[in-house]
Amino acid sequence: MSNIAGKAYAMNVITPIGRWRAICNLIIFCLVKTRVMAKRLDGLKTLSLIHYARWVIIRPHQFPRLSEEQPKENLKYAYMLFFSNFNGSWTQYVDSFHMAIPGGLDLLWKKNIRYPKSVPLQPFHSYIVHNQIWTEHYYNPYPLASANDVKAAVALKPALCEFIHTSENLSDEEFARQYKAFLFANQAYLGKMAPAPVVSLANQATQERRRLNELYGRLDQDQPKGQTHDD
Amino acid sequence: MNSHYIDLDDIQGNIVKAYGRFGYPFARYIFFQFHDMDAGRAFIRSLLPLITTSRPWFADTKLPSATTNIAFSYQGLKHLGLPTKSLHSFPEEFSMGMKARGEILGDDNESSPDHWDPVWRNDKRVHMFMSINAQNLAALEARYQKIQDLLNAHTGKVEQLRGHRGEQGDDMAYQEAAAVVIDGKITAKEHFGYTDGISDPYFKGSGSNPINLIGGGKPTRQDPATEEGWAPLETGEFILGYRDETQELPIAPVPRLLSYNGTFMVYRKLHENVGSFNHYIEQMGRDFPGGPEALVAKMSGRWRNGAPTVSFPTQAEADAFIEELEKAREAAKVAATPVEKANALAHLNTLRKRLTGFNFNQDIGGGRCPMGSHIRRTNPRGCLEYGVANAYSTPGALDNRRRLLRRGLPYGKVTDRMSDEGEHGIIFMAIGTSIERQFEFVQQQWINYGNDFKLANQKDPLLGNHDGHGDFMIEGNSPENPPFFCARLPRFVTTRGGEYFFIPSLTAIRMIADNLIDPT
Amino acid sequence: MMINTVEPTPLTLLCPIKNGAVGEQSYASITREYLQSLENHDRSPMAAVPDTFLCRFFILNDVFYEGSPAQEDHLQSKYLTFCCNFHGDTETYLRGFWQHAEKAIREIWRYCVAFDKVNDADSFVAYIKKCTLKTTYYFNGSTGVPLAEQLKALYLKQELSQFACDTQGHSSQQLRAAFRHFVARTQPDNLAEPTWRPGQNFLS
Repeated sequence: MSNIAGKAYAMNVITPIGRWRAICNLIIFCLVKTRVMAKRLDGLKTLSLIHYARWVIIRPHQFPRLSEEQPKENLKYAYMLFFSNFNGSWTQYVDSFHMAIPGGLDLLWKKNIRYPKSVPLQPFHSYIVHNQIWTEHYYNPYPLASANDVKAAVALKPALCEFIHTSENLSDEEFARQYKAFLFANQAYLGKMAPAPVVSLANQATQERRRLNELYGRLDQDQPKGQTHDD
Repeated sequence: MNSHYIDLDDIQGNIVKAYGRFGYPFARYIFFQFHDMDAGRAFIRSLLPLITTSRPWFADTKLPSATTNIAFSYQGLKHLGLPTKSLHSFPEEFSMGMKARGEILGDDNESSPDHWDPVWRNDKRVHMFMSINAQNLAALEARYQKIQDLLNAHTGKVEQLRGHRGEQGDDMAYQEAAAVVIDGKITAKEHFGYTDGISDPYFKGSGSNPINLIGGGKPTRQDPATEEGWAPLETGEFILGYRDETQELPIAPVPRLLSYNGTFMVYRKLHENVGSFNHYIEQMGRDFPGGPEALVAKMSGRWRNGAPTVSFPTQAEADAFIEELEKAREAAKVAATPVEKANALAHLNTLRKRLTGFNFNQDIGGGRCPMGSHIRRTNPRGCLEYGVANAYSTPGALDNRRRLLRRGLPYGKVTDRMSDEGEHGIIFMAIGTSIERQFEFVQQQWINYGNDFKLANQKDPLLGNHDGHGDFMIEGNSPENPPFFCARLPRFVTTRGGEYFFIPSLTAIRMIADNLIDPT
Repeated sequence: MMINTVEPTPLTLLCPIKNGAVGEQSYASITREYLQSLENHDRSPMAAVPDTFLCRFFILNDVFYEGSPAQEDHLQSKYLTFCCNFHGDTETYLRGFWQHAEKAIREIWRYCVAFDKVNDADSFVAYIKKCTLKTTYYFNGSTGVPLAEQLKALYLKQELSQFACDTQGHSSQQLRAAFRHFVARTQPDNLAEPTWRPGQNFLS
């Protein structure tokens, strides 16, 4: 169980909203989508820490009920689910989020029950952690890549393919000249990747234990029965 | 802003003053272990009269010939008998100690504790830090002797720890440090030849010279060459008990008087592999436009003389500027009449502003100062907004909470500039109200990693924990001048020891000594 | 500037778990235990599901009490929650999910309400539709291009960055030859190989 998969961190939050307030918030989100209020969230793109994030407002009657035997939900509040995949840990980056886009955060959690506003930090941080659900299984198709790495790669590939195509029949000197120009034009996308920094010693310890368990588990399987490692 | 509510007499002086700037080029760092609680308390009580405070020093202040400041590790506070509740109210990283945080800090391989000075082998023994800064060696020895006299009253019960590596061996009783002297002159250089300590955070109530606001404060959206381009940082980023940048009082240990006017300090002994550095620069510099000196400048973001590359892109411009600055300094010193002095100072200040009053907004692409250069990583000056107008509520939104008050001095001498051998480097200290949010974050995310700068896993070329496979990209600035890659970077700086400390106020020192800390 | 006009597809599911137990362990607890036992990274069952970007599972035990003056609220069932980002349309994705991870699906959803009626891709798709929540607001901070494209692009970024270092200072001839060799080796147009595997968490 971990919120960390490589360079990505999974944040899951569920917060109550008044049933009527939820309808107002649904309208706010519509306005954000249609760019009327989008300016407040422009900072999210510049922060460049998030792969994907979503907000889901679910009203009491919208919890899926798939059979008559399943009891009906009887909730007093509507709920907002928040899922994010970002780079770094929440402890490390809550500072960056709340300093950069406080207005945006307040818009997204507007009038959620007991939401304390994004500034100052401690009540906001406590609110999110209080309502956070830990992930049972988190899958990242590219643990070695942050959102910045992915975006850079996806921009670089077509540029590289284009360069390969246009440089095919050039003289060596002209090729070298155009190669330099290609590097310059795409320098923002270069940079080698490697495993993520250890953002959490607790997480690192569990990873290491798993690795060792796996290693010794495999060794046990390789050993003929009745033989110990000390033989 | 009037910060009269800050009692600078209660705050230890090393927090607001970089003593080196005030003419204290010598230092000695001493570490102690408490074997007996009462003796420990009595010892620190006896030190109180010697503790230097943050009372401002002006041009006409008579300065002491030596300063003294103290700080405690978690183990130290425990052995001084702090109640459990108070101990548990300290942050996790502080209670674990720096050695245990090695994986976060990147203290691996040559930087791992296996290679640290013997004094750090058992980090649970390091209880108290003491610094003596002095104007000259005689003053240093005199203050040191005074400390020995006080210590002698507690023989066997308070122990001065040995085991620092120095030129005389690896069992020294203290860590010596001193400004680098070149041609008989005291300089601000470190052993790679860079001019160090140019920028320091400027915060409300520090009593620091207002000229330091420019470049030292947090960026506003105005011209960085002017005072309007900067605002003082909130005191609470550096001293506990005051408002911080997130508009609240920072989390602090209890009871309040224990932490009020105190702060945290990171102490690290950093060995400099001058041989590896000089070899690498000479080899790589052969192919780099502008040669080795330009390469050295790009790695740092400042030329060795201190001129920032973003404002002075060529060595000629940098040299001309520093020469002018030095002349202006001399002129201000020798000015005879008040009018001459005022004019000379005004001219000097105009030039000083160019040393620190800049940002990277005109250099988003990194063509002048590489994105991954040392100074851009450790003090982004709002460049993480990437030039997107008003993307954040303030341009320094991602930097203001990561500023480090840096203290310390070089140690040792370099006898062979092409060798890594020998004891020489920097005693690095970083002060702030959260070790995890400030120092550890900068160390892990900005020095040993590159994602915030869109540099994938690239590390700080000078301070990164390189393994010989990584590289540093110097952005080009035209198709004819493409990016240059410093490949297979060796590790230039290795950790040789250190710990996390708490610097208490004078009130807290007295209350700890008098057994008055009670969080009930 | 980046050329990326492809948006990823979000899928958010709340799948009610039956209120019951096997022996003394609740269905929800068994489901949680199974999810926690799944291997990570390239050995996760999700690595086999085509075009899966970042995704997660958790059990929603109950809603949280915020403290007075808020009212106390409780769910009548626990919910298996699945939050996924992928490329393409939902039905194609779900069919791919069934095709490549049927065994894991059957284990994960085993104790969910009405899942006993799921026995093929069609019924799986229909079941999932009933559990799907409408996304109120989606933020794409990355890309929605097919996963194979992304993985190949990452592979090429890595290789090209190394190439740029290794060939610095080469003569024009050497550079040209090295580049031809680079293209032959990395095959930029071939999405199948060489490339990064889904979930690959170490450099080879």
